[in-house]
Amino acid sequence: MKYMLLVYADENALNDAERADCYRKSSLVAEEIHASGNYIAASPLQPTSTASSVKVRNGRRLVTDGPFAETREQLGGFYLVDVPDLDAAIAIAKKVPLRFDGAIEIRPLIAMPAR
Amino acid sequence: VTAALDLVFRAASGRIIAALAARFRNLDLAEEAFGEACARAVTAWAEEQPRDPAAWLYRVAERAALDQIRRAATRATADLPPPEPEPDAEELLMADDRLIPDERLRLIFICCHPAIHADARAALTLRLVCGLSTGEIARAFLVAEPTLAQRLVRAKRKIANAGIPFEVPGPDAWGERLDAVLATLEVAYAHAHADGGGTGRHAGYAAEMLDITATLARMLPREPEVIALAATVRFAEARRPARIDATGMMVPLAEQDPALWNSALIGEARTMLAQALQLGPPAVRALQALSHAEWCLRASRTAPPPWASILTIYDALLALRDDAVIRLNRAVALAEVRGAGEALEAVDALDLPGLADFLPYHAVRADLLARLGLSTAAREAYDAALRLGPERAERLWLEARRARL
Repeated sequence: MKYMLLVYADENALNDAERADCYRKSSLVAEEIHASGNYIAASPLQPTSTASSVKVRNGRRLVTDGPFAETREQLGGFYLVDVPDLDAAIAIAKKVPLRFDGAIEIRPLIAMPAR
Repeated sequence: VTAALDLVFRAASGRIIAALAARFRNLDLAEEAFGEACARAVTAWAEEQPRDPAAWLYRVAERAALDQIRRAATRATADLPPPEPEPDAEELLMADDRLIPDERLRLIFICCHPAIHADARAALTLRLVCGLSTGEIARAFLVAEPTLAQRLVRAKRKIANAGIPFEVPGPDAWGERLDAVLATLEVAYAHAHADGGGTGRHAGYAAEMLDITATLARMLPREPEVIALAATVRFAEARRPARIDATGMMVPLAEQDPALWNSALIGEARTMLAQALQLGPPAVRALQALSHAEWCLRASRTAPPPWASILTIYDALLALRDDAVIRLNRAVALAEVRGAGEALEAVDALDLPGLADFLPYHAVRADLLARLGLSTAAREAYDAALRLGPERAERLWLEARRARL
């Protein structure tokens, strides 16, 4: 099964050195997933200050600055993995570096018929 | 026929559903197929009662499941699995314990996966492993039946769609997963235990809890916490006959008549506790079982209550798991050993969201205030406890206590 691991954290909590360290450790996790043959994709995301949204208001599409919702934790990166089951996805999520207040949401992908 | 079916249902439904679920890796299919087998049994058994009803149900359910898979495959124009041969006479003569593989451990780990909401885990375990009806579980959990049914549907959908594995977890995940299983059984048993008389609005499914904890202890004979939980359920159930007096009022542990306790069940519990303690230093559940064991040593109402040992055990528990319930129970022992003043300080130091809605908190506080002669505050605390809608037995006791002020 394919799972998306969405990494949430307070994007302002890290200083530059801590952020670099976090990316380095995250890359090691990505390499490990790759080595075990479960890797599809992974990447950190630029901060929400770079985000743009397309919203529908009264049936019209509007382009706006910023993320869709203001929350304490922001989506900061993702891993897309192909593993046998939820337990395997949880085991990977537990390796992802997180500050003590971060969270990882594990979402199974819906299998769509191949074209 | 219905009576015979009820009997097999309670005794074997968990095993049959577990075996079907393990084989087809699909809880809904397992449940539906088992339901279909039961429906067919009503007519078939009226003509001739099978020699081994559980084996009959398993075989018929298995065929119903395969039929359903075949029908679904036909619709999807996918490859058809080969047709299932009808069970032959020899197969149907086999004893059910050889015919039906025991996959309950697997089913328990599926139902108690930490990715499922804790209440739903307990409900799912009672439904699938213990064979309780949705109505019975709803009554025990004090929720409306449609609410509980929906909770079960959501949990099963999560198991199917989130890819929760149909396996007993491997060594790296074992600790967390086993803890989730034990916590689930504790939630389930708390509901059975809350029903003091066994006849209240709760389901009175204590017998199923005795059975499932014993089964788990047998399946995991190297896990001290599993065996300790089985011991605790036995100690607690052994005291059930003494928990309510002739007027229907609750009798607190220290005032119960040990002559009414079930000594055979206490013996069973002691054997289990000894077995658990041999496997390593006591963890949380072994300590809890130990405190029950201390109480169950009392031979008569005149024997002094073991408060000092209880306090020592709660001190050890607190070092392993610091939570409000343990602190509250410790305060009860503290009051007896070192006085109500110190105990009240400990209770008032508790800080937990939702404490105001926790009935034992008010009940313990009320008792301590009463002992200290603070009648007005005690009365307020009893009123706060009563406002939370206790079961009849506890309500009568709280009212009696308040009247004594």
